[in-house]
Amino acid sequence: MRRANVMAGVILAVFGLVMLVIVIPRQIGPGPDGMMSPSLVPSMMMIVITALSLILVISNIRARPVDARAEPAAPISRDEILALVRILGLFAVALGLHLWLSPLAAGFALVAGAQLVLGERRPLLLILVPAGFLGAIWLLFYKLLGTAIL
Amino acid sequence: MDYMIVGFQDVLNPTTLFWVTAGVTLGYVLGALPGLGKATGVAVAIPMTFYLDPTAALGMLIGIAKGSGAGSAVSAILLNTPGEPSSAPTALDGYPLARQGKAQKALKMGLYASVIGDLLSTLVLIMLAAPLARYALLIGPVELCAILLFSLTFIGGLSGSSMTKGMIAAAFGVFFATIGMETETFVPRLSFGLLELDDGLSLVPLAIGMLAVAEMIVQAGNIKALDHESAQIVDGAAREDRIITRDEWRRSIPAILRGTVIGSIVGILPGLGASVGSFISYGATRKASKTPEKFGTGMIEGVAAAESADNAVVPSSLIPLFALGIPGSVIAAILIAAFILHGLTPGPLMFVQQPRLVAGVYASMICASFIMLAIGYFGQRLFALVIRLPLRHIIPGVLLLCSIGAYMDTNSVFSIYVMLAFAVIGFFARKLDFSFVTFLIGFVIGPTLELTFRQSLQLLDHRTVNLVHHPIAAAFILLTLLTVVWLGRGNGRRVGMAPAVAAVPGLDTTPGDTTEIKRED
Repeated sequence: MRRANVMAGVILAVFGLVMLVIVIPRQIGPGPDGMMSPSLVPSMMMIVITALSLILVISNIRARPVDARAEPAAPISRDEILALVRILGLFAVALGLHLWLSPLAAGFALVAGAQLVLGERRPLLLILVPAGFLGAIWLLFYKLLGTAIL
Repeated sequence: MDYMIVGFQDVLNPTTLFWVTAGVTLGYVLGALPGLGKATGVAVAIPMTFYLDPTAALGMLIGIAKGSGAGSAVSAILLNTPGEPSSAPTALDGYPLARQGKAQKALKMGLYASVIGDLLSTLVLIMLAAPLARYALLIGPVELCAILLFSLTFIGGLSGSSMTKGMIAAAFGVFFATIGMETETFVPRLSFGLLELDDGLSLVPLAIGMLAVAEMIVQAGNIKALDHESAQIVDGAAREDRIITRDEWRRSIPAILRGTVIGSIVGILPGLGASVGSFISYGATRKASKTPEKFGTGMIEGVAAAESADNAVVPSSLIPLFALGIPGSVIAAILIAAFILHGLTPGPLMFVQQPRLVAGVYASMICASFIMLAIGYFGQRLFALVIRLPLRHIIPGVLLLCSIGAYMDTNSVFSIYVMLAFAVIGFFARKLDFSFVTFLIGFVIGPTLELTFRQSLQLLDHRTVNLVHHPIAAAFILLTLLTVVWLGRGNGRRVGMAPAVAAVPGLDTTPGDTTEIKRED
């Protein structure tokens, strides 16, 4: 975790500096005369984040090194990263279908795709589960609540 | 009192009761499923309540929060894997009871303790919130700014393994709240030319992304271990072991009352949350017992102590929200969005401006407690079956609901982009132990914090020394500094909790729990 903390601290400190020096001055214009700058609080928060990130880095570097065997495994496992990439990819496909085909196709693809990604291979369930979810949502919104989602 | 009668009249009709029941049932199921807590349930359900009348909508959401608190005991007892971290101490004695073939007895005690704790804590909320709100009306911008700063520091320091990380998360929350049009100067901030960002980021897709989608991704990455846990359910309740005997009631009632008091106090204090309440209650009951050495081997009062405190926290955590408008927990932060959406702005003025709706909320909370008892009693066997469902069928459905929920917030795909962006942030926050609870609370109180900060600067004429004219504000600033020093020196949150958590077998096999246990609900 120490290594992860140092890396996270460095990334956040750099992010904070970039926001302070480049993004905030370009993205927040000056306010009217006599009023407080609109960038006051965002800048303050970025200063706090940068300073605390540096503290996080320094405190973790200075912390007593522990036995490598006692150090817990990396905080994020390979399976979790794969799950993140796959689910985001799935959302990308579903959003594409939503924009270019239909929301129904997007919903079906999202549920069936997630089942596939998570290891379901039985064709019947790959059809029935998305159909069941979409049917239940139609029932809830269009019949029970009496309103359209789209 | 008159308003309470009207409130009950508003709630005791078939439509409202149906939605409160639906909320409790949904919450019970979500609570029983490991990793899907009350915050996730409420965040996903908010858009579904858009078209309900305010009393039914708020009753349903509160029903989800309450049902989830009680439902989390089911998996703690049957699987040794708490549905929510706050039920971890329930597993200490509940699981041994289940292994002795007394699962039904443990489940029933968990339910009764939950209902009693929840109901009594609701009464505490009703009695305390309005009187406290009268004093809150005397608070000016300088005092409010100092109180918000203190709350954020306190929560940031407590909800995570590192105060530095908690404070970073809080600062990020406030920072993201500044996106959009600035309210005084009407200058767009960090909107990158996108019209969708001119109104700022909406809490609903942000919370759905951080809480629900991120949790689903974490669970998807650990699906084999989680499904293996589900397959290990012990299902052996002998007939004679299904009821709670008179002697067990006699031993459990003091534990339930103690747990209710502890849970109510812990709930009022911002940032501590249900996990702290249930662990303290369990520890206190063990200490008060004549046979403390038997705890952990299947003592029914251990289940009673943990569950009563766990469920007492939810209603009492609404006291700072109702009295001061300050969310003390993530569930309170999310409920703010729902309250505002349905015309009830949490804070001292709501008792003056919307007394009928407030009474309706109170009445629905009381009704939800009794509905929880009925649902839990008759549905316990069914809920025990629900947690056998493989996650590969649950996660896709939750992802679909998340997408619909985010989309419905603005009727725009942009909300889904926001949800996904914050799902990624939430995923890394979970894994790297940056408290997203503090982030969400920072995001919710950010606009008020900024406004009161600006007003304070003007009222104080930009001179710190003028704080002497605002002793309450000065006291809270001093408390903030003391909190930073105290927490920073000891890094002393969760003292004594970690060993207890580590003692819960099964917790470490559930990734959702190992990360959740440090944060607040």
